[in-house]
Amino acid sequence: MKFIHYVEKISGVSIYGLSSLLIFGSFFLVMLIWAIRADKGMIEELRQLPLDKIKGAGKIPVILVVLLLTGSGAFAAGPPVPSSMDNPFVIISIIVIFILAMAIGLLANVLLGAAQIPVSKQTASAGSAGEKPADVKEAGSYLFLAGTAINGVSDTAFYFISAVILLEVLILLALLYNVRLVLSIHKKAKAASAAVETAAAPAKRRLSWWAKANSFKPVEEEADLDLGHDYDGIRELDNKLPPWWLYGFYCTILFACVYLWRYHVSHTAPLSGEEYAISVQKAEVAKAEYLKKAANLVDETTVKQLSDGGDLAAGQKIFETNCFACHGKAGEGGVGPNLTDEYWLHGGSIQDVFKTIKYGWPDKGMKSWKDDFSPSQIAQVASYVRSLQGTHPANAKAPQGTVYK
Amino acid sequence: MQIEKFYYDNKTVKWFGYAVMFWGVVGMLAGLWAAISMYYPAMNLGLPATTFGRMRPVHTNAVIFAFVGNGIFMGVYYSLQRLCKARMFSDTLSKIHFWGWQLIIVAGAITLWAGKTSGKEYAELEWPLDIAIAVIWIVFGINMFGTIIKRRESHLYVAIWFYIATWVTVAMLHIVNSMELPVSLWKSYPLYAGVQDALVQWWYGHNAVAFFLTTPYLGLMYYFLPKAADRPIYSYRLSIIHFWALIFIYIWAGPHHLLYTALPDWAQSLGVVFSVMLIAPSWGGMLNGLFTLRGAWDKVKEEPVLKFLVVAITCYGMATFEGPMLSLKNVNAISHFTDWTIAHVHIGALGWNGFLTFGVLYWLVPRMWNTSLYSKKLAGTHFWIGTLGIVLYAVPLYWAGFTQSMMWKSFTPEGQLRFQFLETVTHIIPMYVTRSIGGALYLSGALIMVYNLFKTIRKGSFVANEAAEAAPLPEKIATHGRTYWHRWIERRPMQMLVFSLIAVAIGGMIELIPTFLVKSNIPTITSVKPYTPLELHGRDIYVREGCYLCHSQMVRPFRDEVARYGEYSKAGEFVYDHPFQWGSKRTGPDLARVGGKYPDSWHYNHMMDPSSMSPGSIMPSYIWLFDRELDTARTESMIRAMQKLGVPYPDGYATEQANKDLTAQEKSIRASLQADKIHTGSNKEIMALIAYLQRLGKDIKSAPKEQTAMKGADGRDVMGN
Repeated sequence: MKFIHYVEKISGVSIYGLSSLLIFGSFFLVMLIWAIRADKGMIEELRQLPLDKIKGAGKIPVILVVLLLTGSGAFAAGPPVPSSMDNPFVIISIIVIFILAMAIGLLANVLLGAAQIPVSKQTASAGSAGEKPADVKEAGSYLFLAGTAINGVSDTAFYFISAVILLEVLILLALLYNVRLVLSIHKKAKAASAAVETAAAPAKRRLSWWAKANSFKPVEEEADLDLGHDYDGIRELDNKLPPWWLYGFYCTILFACVYLWRYHVSHTAPLSGEEYAISVQKAEVAKAEYLKKAANLVDETTVKQLSDGGDLAAGQKIFETNCFACHGKAGEGGVGPNLTDEYWLHGGSIQDVFKTIKYGWPDKGMKSWKDDFSPSQIAQVASYVRSLQGTHPANAKAPQGTVYK
Repeated sequence: MQIEKFYYDNKTVKWFGYAVMFWGVVGMLAGLWAAISMYYPAMNLGLPATTFGRMRPVHTNAVIFAFVGNGIFMGVYYSLQRLCKARMFSDTLSKIHFWGWQLIIVAGAITLWAGKTSGKEYAELEWPLDIAIAVIWIVFGINMFGTIIKRRESHLYVAIWFYIATWVTVAMLHIVNSMELPVSLWKSYPLYAGVQDALVQWWYGHNAVAFFLTTPYLGLMYYFLPKAADRPIYSYRLSIIHFWALIFIYIWAGPHHLLYTALPDWAQSLGVVFSVMLIAPSWGGMLNGLFTLRGAWDKVKEEPVLKFLVVAITCYGMATFEGPMLSLKNVNAISHFTDWTIAHVHIGALGWNGFLTFGVLYWLVPRMWNTSLYSKKLAGTHFWIGTLGIVLYAVPLYWAGFTQSMMWKSFTPEGQLRFQFLETVTHIIPMYVTRSIGGALYLSGALIMVYNLFKTIRKGSFVANEAAEAAPLPEKIATHGRTYWHRWIERRPMQMLVFSLIAVAIGGMIELIPTFLVKSNIPTITSVKPYTPLELHGRDIYVREGCYLCHSQMVRPFRDEVARYGEYSKAGEFVYDHPFQWGSKRTGPDLARVGGKYPDSWHYNHMMDPSSMSPGSIMPSYIWLFDRELDTARTESMIRAMQKLGVPYPDGYATEQANKDLTAQEKSIRASLQADKIHTGSNKEIMALIAYLQRLGKDIKSAPKEQTAMKGADGRDVMGN
């Protein structure tokens, strides 16, 4: 999953991944709030539109779910190619594009349904109804375009992305305007006939959103639901499955299909090994870039003995926390060789000592420290070690190796 | 129709109840002990039995199989009789079941303390006890099905579906995972090796959580919650759907314990998606529980039993949502091997299992002793102390897990690891301290309960045989009310058993069989050779001391792990590992590539006093390894067993040559120690352990590069692009 590379960096530099997650999450929250609020007002109106007469209107939830999942799938795991997907701007933009495209899909479908009323009532009608399918198509094509645009990093990509987003926003606004228009027409038409009935109708019981979300039946009506089972006094009701639970279940099943498809059929998401290769590649690039600027490029060929007191103190600190276990607190040796005499197993020049620390002599028990310390730190330790020469500490280990002069 | 009179057996329920309280306290004490030794190594006492590596399996086994196990039996023996309107099938079997189970627990604790372990988490008990468990489990099964068959109730209630699924699945898991070859009375090697062993183990381990800690307790919830709240079950059809979906899907999710390991990617992906699909079926149980309380929430404020049940169900919901989230690879990359997992399982163990057990006990005891609870106020105190204990336990560990993982993964801009492993350990020690305070609070809550129930029992009088009456089961079962298709199977316990078995067998077979049969799942590496006899002894010691409980042997394909430990682990490296030792927690660093990293003398000093080589280390000292003689008489049977398992030692190697090789290798280690001024007696256990540690990860270092390049399941070279 692409996302992991960003999450991993929380303690380091980048938290773009988290911020995009935040945007994504808040979008869902807004959607949710909208859906719940809409329940009371607008959707009630919409429900009374003869949506069911239109072929395909029932598919709205399905389309939505598919959009949601493909959207989140692309978000969660970009193609394994290390491309402009690394660019947080591109990632966030693509997410925005997807979200907007989803919203367009939703609104287009709503409008499609709403616009059918005049169509079904008046046999001939052009205007808004005619252009709507085109909008849906457009939305689809943006989805496609959005998918293909991610490989480019260039300026054109930037402007292209911006243009797509702008266009999508415009379409959304247009769609919203049309929905309002159609609704208001319908409302006016209904108002006249409804006015008579509402006066007589009893006040409908208002259900909380929680009760609605679970399709609760009032506790007083429980008797109707009793199945007549009696197990040691335990009765059972026949309540419906909470809709959010059921659709949530369907969503997870869909997630499973998309997931397996992406990882094992279409290969658009990286498996563990690929993910590793990508992360190493990226880290190498970042490291090279940093080192270019940091002037930290010391290696075994360029290293010089450091004599500055600060450097030696830093080297001593590293030595006393990491090296002393084997070489003794004063370098007198123990598990490892004595570092204070003039005998060396692998050479005693600053270059030799640097090399020994950097790469280690694993078969002799000296580990490589290059992943633990930076080149300049290794130079500090190496310089400190060489400064111990001739200090004659107590309990010194017998000389090993050859004399280095 | 004639009404029959009969008596419910409360005596067995009472005994199981006593056992729950006793083992609960023992198990929690062992846990507290282990928790303290994580920041105060002196707590290990320098004795083998009290060292963390042995204390921890005692804790987990005591809590899972003794505390929760007896809790299951207590609840089942009480509810099953009443739901079937029949006394238990056989009082003798009940007795055998009770005493057999307690005997297994006692023997288990003693053998674990003595270091007799199979080295597989949550299945540590050695083969004689595995057989005993199977026998007692069958006794329980006969007793349960006997009762169901002679029932006076036409249909099986949902609680019984869960009991049946539990019984059949646990039997299947236990038998498949305990396939092992005995070497001696208290030592065996599993038939499976490496990746296969890991898959079987976590298929078992995960489903032990599912079918020992979850499904039976859902059954208990379905009985005790509506009884205590006096409310009808919210939705019968939700029961049906979530029951079948739960048992079918749960069994597939095991591989989520092995994400990013050497397990083939396809199996990992199955683990991920089935875990995600598990959210809704799990939550079905929570919703059915909580919605059953609709219209009874005023009672929850008053009644301690309901308080415990509500928190239990809520914790269940939290844990079963968190589980699937932890199964997502990007979250797992952070959480796995850290204390996050420990926090997660304790939400389930302390919240769901613990609190549900407490609720049931508070409900049962007054009823069976025909009295009322001694003190509702004390029960309330228990509730609040327990809840606070859970919070104080879990929150610091979530924090510790996340922090440590982030520290592990942290690099300097120069590309070096920012923290030494030890720094990441010492950093989270305050969290360990807080955690043990939470645990101590929880334990003291349990002690308050024991006192409260003891007082209740003292003032009541026990009803050993509770009178009841019901009409016998008619020849033809008449159904009334609206009838669902599912009613058909509720009248047929045997079909229920068979269908449950089919539901749980499918997932396991689809995951296990290809891993065993398809060769490309575990690409071989020619340089990987069998362990030498001395190393094999060392490996047995490694298993005996429970090293795998703190040290993993699995370098995952992450940049930081490769930088810290070396090349990431490949499936082919573990083909001779009976049992696998990948571990599930990194309290200490990974050891998969520790071989050759330090000199022999480093290991020698480190095992004697870890803080001499790593100041601040929380690892216990293993001083007894320096005195104990290596049991070379066992070498022959060990090698022979390995040969039987397919490890390619030459013919006739076991008899003479093996011990000759052993002595030679031991001498060379002694010589290398001597060079570092360490003089040691010959033939000590420490030599074998050093030999084993120095071997770890060495084979692959000498392997030609192309062999270790990772291939995708379909053969494409995934490192290439």
